[in-house]
Amino acid sequence: MISREDLEHLAQISRINLTENELDKFPKQLEKTIKYIDILQQLATDDSVSLDLQEVEFEELRKDEIRMSDEKQLAKNITEDGFLRGPKMK
Amino acid sequence: MTKLDDLLAYEVVEGLTEGQFTAEDYVTTIIKRIEKVEPKVHSFITLDTDGALSSAKIIDKKIKEKEDIGQLAGVTVGIKDNISTRGIRTTCASKILENYFPTYDATVIKSLKENGAILLGKLNLDEFGMGSTTEYSRYQPTRNPWNLDYVPGGSSGGSGAAVAAGECTVALGSDTGGSIRCPSSFCSVTGLKPTYGRVSRYGLISYANSLEQIGPICRSIRDLVMMLNLISGKDALDNTSVPSTPISIPNKLNKLNIATVRELITGSDEEVAKSIYSASEKFKEIGCSCEEVSINNLHYALPSYYTLASAEASSNLARYDNIRYGFDYPIGEYKWDTYFSNVRENFGEEVKRRILIGSYVLSSGYYGKYYLKARKLRSLLRLELLELFKKYDLLIGPTMPILPFKFGEKIDDPIKMYLVDINTVIANLAGIPAISLPVGFSNGLPIGLQIMAAPFEEQKLIDASYELEKVINIPRRPNSI
Repeated sequence: MISREDLEHLAQISRINLTENELDKFPKQLEKTIKYIDILQQLATDDSVSLDLQEVEFEELRKDEIRMSDEKQLAKNITEDGFLRGPKMK
Repeated sequence: MTKLDDLLAYEVVEGLTEGQFTAEDYVTTIIKRIEKVEPKVHSFITLDTDGALSSAKIIDKKIKEKEDIGQLAGVTVGIKDNISTRGIRTTCASKILENYFPTYDATVIKSLKENGAILLGKLNLDEFGMGSTTEYSRYQPTRNPWNLDYVPGGSSGGSGAAVAAGECTVALGSDTGGSIRCPSSFCSVTGLKPTYGRVSRYGLISYANSLEQIGPICRSIRDLVMMLNLISGKDALDNTSVPSTPISIPNKLNKLNIATVRELITGSDEEVAKSIYSASEKFKEIGCSCEEVSINNLHYALPSYYTLASAEASSNLARYDNIRYGFDYPIGEYKWDTYFSNVRENFGEEVKRRILIGSYVLSSGYYGKYYLKARKLRSLLRLELLELFKKYDLLIGPTMPILPFKFGEKIDDPIKMYLVDINTVIANLAGIPAISLPVGFSNGLPIGLQIMAAPFEEQKLIDASYELEKVINIPRRPNSI
């Protein structure tokens, strides 16, 4: 059961504001989805099943080289006065 | 000669090389086609016709001066708008990125440009690739060129529709749980999800990075092979990419052992199943064996997919923090948390739902119950499929269990929408290659056949698809637009 409080908690840890409409309809929708993925509980598994992780050898990693990015292009994505803006500190 | 805007990619390259027309002629014809059909179909989010025309002129100049023009010279390409293009707005169909201009090209874009391809613009998708209809695009939905009242499939719906409608010669899409194959099936074009690792993901804006691959959407197998070979290979900027051998167009079909997957057929609409059975008969006629098999773990594939995709989405989309990407809000009294939360309100509903589900399945207490279980299913499914591929070269079934449906039909019920992906997620979970190719119509709506192969056995997919394409006669261009 997903209550409105559960939803508000999930939204808070996900850093997402929800609209009133979403706060109303999401609990039921999310509950249906979780009920659906709950099918996974019927699957019998134990610790012998590996997670199929792909390992990359250290030697295969690329060299840590500096590559220049295009500053003019980069500036298009930040504020009009050319700065990055962050949250205000107390 | 075929009309210019009907040409396939390899015919464009031939025509240019032989001097039958110029690149500018061709690109101008395609732009006229876009002007005619785009108001009905809405495939593009951003068009770059000026850029396309100037690239065409450069190619014409190179031809005049007998310089090398590249293997895709003059071919117009539409790019799904979640693949980074330097200096061309890349939105992921999200409001969060409505003013985002990448500073670099994705590796696949670099390869296309180096080979003379002409970029026409950026194609519509469901926001961040999350959806199966393009109805979750934050701009507008794309319409199915075969019947404008119906969805084109998704999430690469813009790519499928643009290729079907002749708005570009070929397109690139991306496939996380069927996003190339679903619109290919619904729009009656051919689309391939490569083996995980065959194509570099550098510059593909991540949604669920352990599942997704970039791949081509085309109107013929020859075009598809040409595109695939150009975008494949090891890329130092994507550690999961690996070297691969180029694919060739087969001279003759070696006898292949094919198996239809029982569960995929029984779960499908009658009309869809009929088309798939008739395709398997065609395979028999051209000398392949065709049996029926079951995949035991299929029942768990979709719940496992939505667990993993949502978990990865919740962490991948954490980067939209209103600092590097977001809006230029006035300096306010924003507290630390609200600074992030306010801007993230601008995600669409489906993106929010998946992030929330992702946070849920990764939460302490639920991690083992959902995420870990889903990971284990993924291993078991892959092992089961690899075992089947020891006996069979290819597994076949319908790409989509249903025909294209009307707008609004499933949008209010997330589970109904998720269920349409049931046949396609298998290949993403197992990391294997899968193709969708057009095999029929029912009431004017397209049906696609899905063929899956063992990892890096794309050649077998192509061998079978090329032969089937020859014997199945499908109208290539919708008359409705």
